[in-house]
Amino acid sequence: MSEALAVHDPALEAHAHHHPIYDYDSGPPVERGKFAIWLFLATEVMFFSGLIGAYIVLRSASSSWPDPQERLAVDITALNTFILITSSWLMVKALLASRKGDRGGILRWLGATIVGGSIFVGIQVYEYVQLVKEGALPKVDIFWSTFYVMTGFHGSHVVVGVIWLICVWFGALRGRYTARNNLGVELAGLYWHFVDLVWVLLFTIVYLF
Amino acid sequence: MSHDEHDSKHFNPEKVFLYLFLFTIAEVGWGIAGKNFAWNRPMLWGGLLFFATLKGWLIAVYFMHLKFEGWVVKSLILPTPFLILVIFGYVMPDVADKETRLVHPVGSMLDPETGKIIEHMHDGWQSPHHKPHKSTSEHVEAESGVPH
Repeated sequence: MSEALAVHDPALEAHAHHHPIYDYDSGPPVERGKFAIWLFLATEVMFFSGLIGAYIVLRSASSSWPDPQERLAVDITALNTFILITSSWLMVKALLASRKGDRGGILRWLGATIVGGSIFVGIQVYEYVQLVKEGALPKVDIFWSTFYVMTGFHGSHVVVGVIWLICVWFGALRGRYTARNNLGVELAGLYWHFVDLVWVLLFTIVYLF
Repeated sequence: MSHDEHDSKHFNPEKVFLYLFLFTIAEVGWGIAGKNFAWNRPMLWGGLLFFATLKGWLIAVYFMHLKFEGWVVKSLILPTPFLILVIFGYVMPDVADKETRLVHPVGSMLDPETGKIIEHMHDGWQSPHHKPHKSTSEHVEAESGVPH
């Protein structure tokens, strides 16, 4: 079987006839994993654009809208925004450590990123609990409906991101990532930065507008 | 792009982080000042959008390395802002005309027989920690119940 394949291998035949051999790859000139994550992130951009678009239309179509700063705790959420931005910076440090093959560095920086993400989720859950205690449920009015949908979907993305980072952390613990093989860290980092980017926009639109 | 090529294109993550930190402080300050001093809406929203866009750009370009990526990655993500504009372009005419706007706040309770507002949305829920700001034009309308 292998002999039959070898006989019909175009590369071998080209070599036999003194033709040049091309190292041809039909894929795009980028790692497949990176291509896939960017394609996924493009769909995520459109997903969140749909949510934000619906919010803008509903708000514009309403003859009045409550002041978000009177209903929401902007100070605590501003602190939460700092925490998420800090975790994004920590993720950059984890990726740089992985490029140097520094396993201890990956574990430290990635661990700190996971802690930052977990604190963000914890503060958001605390905010939800306080609001529910005050009777601010999604059914009360369209302000709360849009608030819970947008922040809830983002929060679920943060939870997925934290789980992903924990998986990468355990991979690093087992020595999976080296200076030449760190795509797993980079892909998780791209997702994490995207979650941070979306929050920057949501914080502005939901809490400050 | 190989990792060696990637590493040759350095940026200072601490510097980007510092900018993000400062812009967030500036944005929150702008938002609070705008509400307290009753800035007009274009000034308040324009400033907030400016800071948010700047921060998003820094994260995408540096933290996500978009600046250092090749044409394949850029061609995947760069069309999305134009697609967003298409979505907004199609839906905004529905609410841009004041005649077609809803004449009551979305979420207000209406009398099913007369169609009159029984309870305004903003009266339906009040935070126990409610501290009213000086109102912008939109919220003056909300408080007075006067439609756009």
